[in-house]
This record gives sequence, C-alpha cells and structure tokens, in this order.
Amino acid sequence: MDIGKTRPIAAARTATGRGTLRGPRRPRPGNGAAYVLLMALSVVFAGPFLWLLLAALKTREEWVAVPGSVLPDQVQWSNFTQALTDVNFAAYAMNSLFLSTTYAFLITLSSAAVGFGFARLRAPGKRAMFLVVLSTMMLPQVLTILPTYVMFSRLGLVNTYWPWVLWGLAASPYLVFLFRQFFAAIPRELEDAAIIDGCGWPRIFVRIFLPLSRPVLITAFLLSFTWSWGDYIAPALLLDVDHTTLSVAITSWYKDPHGNGIPTVQAAAATLYIMPVLLIFFFAQRHFVRSVVGSAVKG
Amino acid sequence: MARNGWSRYPRRHFYLFVGPWVAGFLFLTAAPLLYAFAVSLTNFDGSSPRWRWIGFRNYVELFGDQAAQAALVRTIGYTAMVVPLSVAGSLGLAMLLNRRLKAVGFWRTVFFLPSIVPMVATAIMWKLILNRDSGIMNAVLGVAGIRPISWLVDPVAFYALVILTLWGLGGGMVIMLAALQGVPAELEEAARVDGASRWSVFRHVTLPMISPVVYFQVITGVITTLQIVIQPLLLAETSSISTVGQVPQSTRLYMVQVYQDFFLHNRFGYGSAMLWVFFLVILAFTLLVQRSSRLWVHYEVDSDADR
Repeated sequence: MDIGKTRPIAAARTATGRGTLRGPRRPRPGNGAAYVLLMALSVVFAGPFLWLLLAALKTREEWVAVPGSVLPDQVQWSNFTQALTDVNFAAYAMNSLFLSTTYAFLITLSSAAVGFGFARLRAPGKRAMFLVVLSTMMLPQVLTILPTYVMFSRLGLVNTYWPWVLWGLAASPYLVFLFRQFFAAIPRELEDAAIIDGCGWPRIFVRIFLPLSRPVLITAFLLSFTWSWGDYIAPALLLDVDHTTLSVAITSWYKDPHGNGIPTVQAAAATLYIMPVLLIFFFAQRHFVRSVVGSAVKG
Repeated sequence: MARNGWSRYPRRHFYLFVGPWVAGFLFLTAAPLLYAFAVSLTNFDGSSPRWRWIGFRNYVELFGDQAAQAALVRTIGYTAMVVPLSVAGSLGLAMLLNRRLKAVGFWRTVFFLPSIVPMVATAIMWKLILNRDSGIMNAVLGVAGIRPISWLVDPVAFYALVILTLWGLGGGMVIMLAALQGVPAELEEAARVDGASRWSVFRHVTLPMISPVVYFQVITGVITTLQIVIQPLLLAETSSISTVGQVPQSTRLYMVQVYQDFFLHNRFGYGSAMLWVFFLVILAFTLLVQRSSRLWVHYEVDSDADR
C-alpha cells in the first residue's frame, strides 16, 4: 500500500510540534454564532450520558409512564443495588478486569519489543514485513474472529482466557506503529555508548529504551485496556456464563421474571460499566488524543 | 559489514524482537483466514464430525443468494451514507474548534468522549433515547408536533444505526483538528491578502493541505464501516449473538448475515465462503479508494519518509 511511502506532511508536523491541539491563531469575528452552535451540538453529544443517568435514577413505572417526565420524581439509587445483585456484577467485573489487565500488559510489552525491532534493528525483509504490519492495521478483528472462534473451539481454548494471552503476546499493529515512531526518534548516540560497553540489544531495549518510553507505555496500556474492556464479540463467542465479561453480562441479562428487560436497572449497570473508561479518559486525556492523532500519521 | 565476525546488527536480534508479531500474524491472522477458506469448501455445521468436501458449491450458491446480495447492497449503501457524513462532520467540528474560542478543551472533550465509550454502552444509551414510548427523542419531536416514531424497528432502524455511528465521530474530529493546526497560518493569510474569499482559501489552500489526513479518514472509515456487525446486533430489541435472527431487516448488514449463517443456520462452511467473498470485496474497495486518491490527495515531498 502507498501509505508506507508517502507521509502526510500536515499531520507529521502536528505530531512533532507538541501541544498544538490548543492553538488558535488570530481573533475572528462572529464567535457568538459559534458558541450557540457549540452549545446545541453539545446537547447532542453529551445528552446520551445524561439520559442514561436519568434513566438509572427512575423507577421502572416512571420510565414507562406516558407521558413521561425528564427528571425522576424521586431519585432511585435502588437501581444500582439491583444492578449489582441481579446478576453477579462483581464477578463479571473481576473477569473483565483480570482479562483486560492481562491483555493490556502483554500487548504493551510485545508491541514495544516489535516496535523497537522495526525502529532500531536491521535484517533482510524488514521493509516488506513493515508493510504487512501496516496493511494488517486495515484488517480489523471482525473478519478473522469467526474462523478464530472455530479454530479455538477445536483446540479446546474456549472458556479459557488463553486467547487473550495469545492475542496479547502477538502485539497489535497499531501499537507497534506507535512505538516504532517513538523509538525511531531517539538519537543513536544513546545506543552507541551501550554497544561500546558491550551491551547486547535485549539489554539496551530493557535498560535504555523501555524506561525512556514511559509515556508511550502508559498510552498503549490504557488504550489496549479500554479496547478489551469494551470488546463484546470475542467474550460473547469464546466465554460461557461463568467466564464471560461485563460487556456481555450487561447487554441482555437484566430481566424480570417474565423475561422482559428492565431498562432502568440496565441503565444503572451501564453507568457503572463505563465508569472505568471515563475515569481513565479524564485522567489521561492527552494520552488518548496523542494516540488517536498518531494513528493518522502513517509513516 | 561483519568485520572480525562482529556486526552491529546481528540478524537474529531483529527476528527475536519482531518474532511475537510474526508468530501472531501467522497463527492468529493468516491461519484463521486460510482455515476459513478450507472450511468454505466443506459443508461443516460447526459441531458434527460428519462433514465432507464440497468444492466451490458454497460460492456458487452465494452467487444466487438474494438475501446475501441484498445485505451487501445495504452495507454498501450504509457505508456510502455514513463515511461522507462522518468525515464531513468531523472536519466541520474541527473547523469550528480551530478558532479563538473560550474553553476549547472543554468543547473538544465533549465531542471526543462519545468515541471512546464501549459500543455495548453506546447501544444501551441510544436504545434508551430512541425508545418509542419512553425515549427523549420522540418526546422532543412530539413538542414539534411529530407523531412517535418506532426507531428501532423496520424501516427506521437503518437511520437509528446511522445516528449511533455518527455519534462517535469525535475521534475523527481530533485527527482533523491536529491536521488543521498543521497548516501554516502564513499560507492562508497570504491567500487572504491576495483577495481570496474565505471559501476559496478553504477550498484551494486548507483542503489540499489536509487532504492526506482526509484520505486516511476515508480509507479507514470505508474499511471499518463495511464490517460493522455489533452495532446492529446490540441495537436490536434482543441483543445477543444467539438471537441474531431478530435483527431488523433494514440493519441486516452483510456481516450480520454472516453471523446468521454461522449461528442461526449452523452453516459454518457457507458462512466462511461469505467471509472470503467479503474479504475480496473489502480489498477491492480499498484499492478503489486508493486509486482515486491520486486525483484528490495532495502530498508534499518529504525526504525523510523512510527513516
């Protein structure tokens, strides 16, 4: 693919100039209209969060009442307790946490190693291999997950967390790219000194490059953690009722004795479910912005 | 290179470092695809050991499968609608934020946040909003005198899916914003001084400068939108893989159809054939977009492209 050869210069510039995401340059007239527009758009983008929370605070009767009211008559925290007890919320949260942490930890390290190889080492076939990395970035999991599921079920890996370990060890092309860009920018003198001291590449990687890449390591970990936390297809296909994750549990398991879904309790569960992602986002927003921007800067 | 038997770059070290990815590519990407091809030549039903090779019969059947073809057309129509809207929308938002405003960081967060919310939660949120009787969407429309709309069933479900997808365009907006801020201000100012209108500055200076990023957005947008499957699945009344048969007709995109053949009809062989045909379709679309890029993507020569 061509993307490996040319490089969008505009994006490249923003990737190197740091903190450019703020920068307005000159005053412009007509900002009053802009604020009105921003306000209106914010309602559309933030509204769903608010409506979710409001639904989580209503009684079921209030929710189905016609005509309904926007605000709950009396705030109902009981939906949250019911969300925690109706299904074994804590157990599924632990499954999600365990699985996502393992996956994120492994894929961060493996992607760092692979990114280091592509950035600092040389061997025949490197260019071709990197092109394959870039093209697999274009091949999302959805296409391979079904045959993978069939394969794994024949290998007896269904209902275990081994698939996530394997996926974690296999590195992600996206994160490999992120690490490669970072490592490629580090001056050569740093490794020269270590080579003269007789240090091998594995040690140079672990002792010099890994510690330097702390911000990228954090970005990669948080990013892959949220991928796995939010993933639905893989756990739905590969894990049974006891092993599955929160994302599967909250989609369709909140039901009354008649088998009808209880939207208010599900809303409470969904609120709890997105909390970790929102927390990660608010504490590490710049990491997210950087990684998203980095993805557009294909090398 | 290897004077005195020493080399700065021993080959095995490169392969050692890159090894995890190579193994992953071979066993977790290439192997499943090849395995799917092998399965597509059988009548495997997912469980029984009594399967046999049937050659290309699945592919032949697929060419006469009207449901699959309808799903493909629907998917292409959906992509043709969603990708331009989300690229234009994210560019529009980015341009709105790329000016001297108060609290730019706040607005950016508001627009970006939806794109990182897990799809499971996004679907739950929109089902609450689009609920026919209790959702706020119909309540708001009701004020304007519009009768309640059944958003989640045919034929409107298609547009519900479009809305849900567009809600997450904040990720694209952040990329566009970064690209816009990479455009040298001198260029635009020079054009303004020369008497160009604001529109022609945008059309002839800004847009060409950011076209590589727009191109990236279009190509990734096309590839991911074609493969959408969990959104329609989760937006359906009963959201789970085992009830994939209940996804409304209008949101039965190609991959949903594939899931139906796997898990509803237990036709793993046929489903695998569908996957492979789709793989080729996606490849064709990617090449198409890539070819078209020569006409509208503007690259500046960049000498250190291959570091």
